[in-house]
Order: sequence, then C-alpha cells, then structure tokens
Amino acid sequence: MENAVRRVAITGMGVVSPLGSELGEFADGLLAGESAAAPITVFDASHLPTRIGAEARLAAGAIALKDRKIAFAENAVRRAIDDAQRRGAALADHYDAGGGVSLGIGLELFSMPDMLAFLAHGGLPDGMQPLTFLQTPSDLCLHAISHEHGLTRPPIMHVSACAAATDAIGMAFRMVREGRRSWMLAGGSDSMLNPLGVAGFCKLEAMTTRNSDPKRASRPFDRDRDGFLLGEGAGVVVLEDLEQAQRRGAAIHAEILGYGCSFDAHGISEPHPEGDGAVLAMSRALRDARLATHDIGHINAHGTSTPKNDPVETRAIRRLLGEHADRITVHSTKSMIGHLISASGAVELIAHIVCAARGWIHPTINIENRDPQCDLDYVCDEPRRIERGVFLKNSFGFGGQNATLAARLAC
Amino acid sequence: MLDKIRPDKISVTGSGSCVLAPGDAGALNVLPFLKTRKMRKFMGKQDQLAVIAACLSLQGRTLSAQALRERTGIYITVGYIPFERDDIEAMARHSVEDGRFSMKQFSTDGIEQVNPLLTFRCLPNMPAFHVSLNCGIQGPYFVTYPGAGQFYLALERAVAALSAHEIDYALVGAVADQDNFLVEFDRANKSSLRNRSVRDAAGFVLLERNSGVAGAAPALALQELDVNYRPHDPWAGGSAHQENFAPDDAAADSAFLGAASLPVFLDQARRRNQGGELTHRVATGDGIEASSRWRMQ
Repeated sequence: MENAVRRVAITGMGVVSPLGSELGEFADGLLAGESAAAPITVFDASHLPTRIGAEARLAAGAIALKDRKIAFAENAVRRAIDDAQRRGAALADHYDAGGGVSLGIGLELFSMPDMLAFLAHGGLPDGMQPLTFLQTPSDLCLHAISHEHGLTRPPIMHVSACAAATDAIGMAFRMVREGRRSWMLAGGSDSMLNPLGVAGFCKLEAMTTRNSDPKRASRPFDRDRDGFLLGEGAGVVVLEDLEQAQRRGAAIHAEILGYGCSFDAHGISEPHPEGDGAVLAMSRALRDARLATHDIGHINAHGTSTPKNDPVETRAIRRLLGEHADRITVHSTKSMIGHLISASGAVELIAHIVCAARGWIHPTINIENRDPQCDLDYVCDEPRRIERGVFLKNSFGFGGQNATLAARLAC
Repeated sequence: MLDKIRPDKISVTGSGSCVLAPGDAGALNVLPFLKTRKMRKFMGKQDQLAVIAACLSLQGRTLSAQALRERTGIYITVGYIPFERDDIEAMARHSVEDGRFSMKQFSTDGIEQVNPLLTFRCLPNMPAFHVSLNCGIQGPYFVTYPGAGQFYLALERAVAALSAHEIDYALVGAVADQDNFLVEFDRANKSSLRNRSVRDAAGFVLLERNSGVAGAAPALALQELDVNYRPHDPWAGGSAHQENFAPDDAAADSAFLGAASLPVFLDQARRRNQGGELTHRVATGDGIEASSRWRMQ
C-alpha cells in the first residue's frame, strides 16, 4: 500500500482529568455539565490573586513525584494502551516494528524549596537525587514511557504551549499516514498548579480571579469572563493505520482526517485580531483532510474564557465557514475542566469523542450573558444530540501557534 | 531499528549561526533584525540568538513576502529553559520566613521581585514566535526540546514536509542558551559533559527542494539522514554524549553547543566553501543516535 493514502484511526484513549480518569466517569461529568473548579489544595495559594483551579482526579498513590505531569503522562499512556487492547490482539503481538510516542509536555519549573536549598548550598545538597531535585527534566517522561512500553522509535516532544498536544497528535497522525510509524501514542500532559506556575500566570493577569465562585469562573464566550481557569492532567490516544487496526480486531473510536498548523506572527500574548493564524490552521487542516467547509458539523473550540481569545476564535470560525458557521455547533470543554495548557488539545479531543460515543455533544457551561461578539451556537448548558460526525479540534497557543485537527467519529 | 531517509532532492540554500564566547551576551545586537524595536524587551538571550541566526540564514536567499508567509515552515529545537540567576535569587530572597520557604512571602513579596517580562524570556516556544514575527512566517512548525538528537527529529519533519510539498522552504534550527546556572546544574549531573566548555549558540539552515532553487546557490545537498533510538531507563541515568564531525573535527567549535551543534557546523562549513562531503554523528545521553551526510556543491 505504498502509494495509497493510509487512513488513521484512534483505537485507544487514556485520560487523567479534573473530572476523573476513567473514560466513563469523564463522560458522565461532561454530559452533566459539571464544573471541576475548586479552591487549589495541592499547595497554599491563599495569598495569590488566583486561588482556584481544576485539579486532576487521580489516586494519591499514583503521584509519587514533585513533578505531577510525569505521573499524569505515564498513567494516561497505560490507560490508552489498555483501552486499545480491550478488543483485538495486543499491539506488541500485532506489530513487528515498535511504536512511538509524540507528546506535548509542559514546562519544567523548579521547586521553590529546592531552589532555596540550591542557592544556600551552592549546588546539590547532600542526599538529594539529581534527577528530581530542582527541575525534573520534562522530557524524562517520554523516555520513561518508551522504556516501559518497549517503544523503539525516537520519542517526540512538543513544547508549543497550549497547542502542544494537538501538534503532538497531528504529527503522529502524519507519521502513521506516511507509513513511517506503524502505531503511535500521542497527546499531552501538564501541571502548572504549583507556586511558580500559578504565580507566573497571575503576573500576566491571564487567569480568572473569581475565587469566591469557582464553579462559575470558567465562562467561555460569556460577556463576564475574566480569564482562564488553570487545570491539569493528561490525555493520550493510540493511533494506528485503520486497516491494520481492523485486522487486529480493535475497536475504532474515531478517525483523524487532517492536521494543520500556523503562526500568527502577530502578538506575543494576544491573537491576531481577525484570527488570521487561526483561519490558516483550520483551512490547512481541512485541505489536509480533503474536506470542504460544509462537511464540518462541529468544532471543539480552544475557548479559553479570556477576553481576547473567544471573540477572535468566533471571528475566525465565521471567516472560515461563512454562512455554514450558523449550521454548526461549537463548544468549549474548558468551561468545565479549565485550561490544561500543554495537555488541553488531547484531553478536549477525548472529551468530545467519549460524549459523542453516547450520541451527545457536551455543553458549554456558564454562558449566562452572551458576549455580543460571540454569536455562534455554543451548545449552552444542556448536551445536544449529535447529528454529524466530522469535527475540528482547535488549540491556539501563547506566542501565536495555532493547531487544528480534523476528525470523524466512528459511526 | 533503522529509520534511514535518503532525501536526494533537498538542499541547504541559506544558513546562519551565532555563537557567543563566555560572558559575551552583551555583544548580542538583535536590533537590526527586528521588525519592531519595542519587541526587544520581551526577548531573552535565547530569543535573540534564534532571531539573529534565522535572519542571517534568509539573507542570501530573497524570498517573497508571500513565500515566507504561506510556504515556509519553522522547525526548531530549543535547549533547556534558561533562568538567569539574578532574577531567581531576588525572588528567593524575598520568599523566606524564619529561614524557610514561605508561600505567603513568595505570594506577596517574592513574586513581586520578578520582572513581568521574565515569563516571555524563558518559555521554550518563544524563540519560534520571535523568528516567525521577524521573518514574517505563518507556515507550519515543529517546536521541540531539548538537544542535538531532537534537532534531527526537526530536520526529519522538515524534509518530510518539503517532500510532501506542504511547504517550499524550511527554516530548520536550534538554539541553546547554556551560560546560565540551571543549565550548568543539569550538565554537572552528566559526566560526559561535566568538563566540556559550553557556548551559547544558535544555528539555522534554510532547506528547499532542489527543483525549486532558481535564484539560489545551493551549497549543501542532503544525502542521507538516519535517526535511531535506544529505549533506556531514564531514572538509571543517561549514557555518554558522543559527537563527531567530519571531515574536519577542528571545524566544529570544540565547546559543547547543545542542540545547535549541527546547524552551526553546517553554517561554518558553508561559509568556508570547502568541497566534498560532510558527515555528522551524534549519540546523545537521552538515547538518540543520529547521523547525516551532506555534499558540498
């Protein structure tokens, strides 16, 4: 099948999210319109301007490291592989060549107590482990995952901020489609719910300060939104050549059809006002998928609840789809689980797929007073029956990196 | 497991690099390369290095604004996150109560010592942003981390994108801000790098398909590209970093240039205009074993 275009299926999904780490539990919470926002408990945020977040629900024993995102990534990968092997032959039994992994990973940030000890001692204090003291390297989890699962292809790390997980899935999709990889793990993991992460975003005035009412703090497309709610977690999918997956006897969750990415080349922290980069990313994904704009039934938006992103994304969708924009649905998973930064694209992709598997599009919650500049059908408050299976997943990153996946649900 | 590519139709038509001697960061002058001077305040050392090298790589090849905007991709590897000691010490000093870290002091006083622009100066995706802004590029991208092995992954993806005609030009580069205390700490834990001198460095090559090089003077044709991986337990420590340049090891700076070693080597070879074949091999501490072969034209 050298010259034919391979089709790429999602055959496994694993998630560690603020609404749970079992796919069924995750879907239940999303369809119920449950907000995962609450006061931060993983450290004392009581003196910071933002004191709320969406912490991942994972058994305490599963998080052994100071750097939570490593545990999240490893856990999500195991879940994704288990899910992919729920039906059919095991991946290792079916494929001669080893698989690979492509993940968006969050920043490595140092621990403040470690930093104080480092500065006081002039180096590594006695008894401290070099790999976990100060800054556990972010790429370490990729190698740990490769080691655990016998992945023999070079692991690929993406650091394109909020677009990283979508980029990771997009690149993995391309590599399977090109025939350069037999199967891939792809997704993202992040946790910035730590002193430096939260304080850093507070300095940028990017986050909501609705501390007294956390469940209503993340309100994409609402007139009274005041910034994003920080979440944490990981999402990983298993990608395979569709024919190979069918031969293996695997269940097919969805099919990735295309991927597009772009730079805004505009502002360091604000999007292009007309959504130029976003339009480019979405149109490239459509072209890559050989889709027309009227094929799109739904968009899982970036939808951050920041003053700037939401109207710009709305504008970009209208520019791309024209009149068809009034015939699609758009929703924001961030309204319930917050912004998972480098993990967001993967977790939100999975969010749509698990709900769609039950026949529903999950709602966008907290749109109480619609922003006049945000005038699409955002599936407010209640889930909606799904009608069309082709959708886009948008992720727009800090620094103007934009990524879009085009996908089709399994019928 | 071999992953060899034989991209016999890809060439380097431009290159640029910037390597700093220790303590020489003050000599960096990025202003001539900026579209807007006011953006300088948002830039850390790694951003400046990347913009200088990227812009130099485009200088010998006049691409239209449309070609840059729509048909050029950026494939960049960024080294470990740089934090300058002065910034961190000030924050740490004001985050202490009774000799111990205090979250209250950190929240109310420590974080106030930090320049709000610090975030922009150390994020790993910021070099790509500054390159895209100042070169006018809105094309596809791949931004990865943290070393010489990952540069090969960026190179591989650029070649794939060119071969698929997704793009017509690929700006492939790497930047490593290594003269900072956290990178020093990381290096100190790796025995093969502990005694190597380091330089801050950035290098970019402009790649395009041979069929599209009208108006260009292709200097280096990519002959072979091979990227392999040895799965290993990262908690057990990494293996030694080994790197070889040929034909002339002395042509490469003997200092450790991190992710930027290959693009700097290619740029330096191009500028010397030496003929023949160039090869580079690297085995990184994180398990990547890669090599490439280039022919001077």
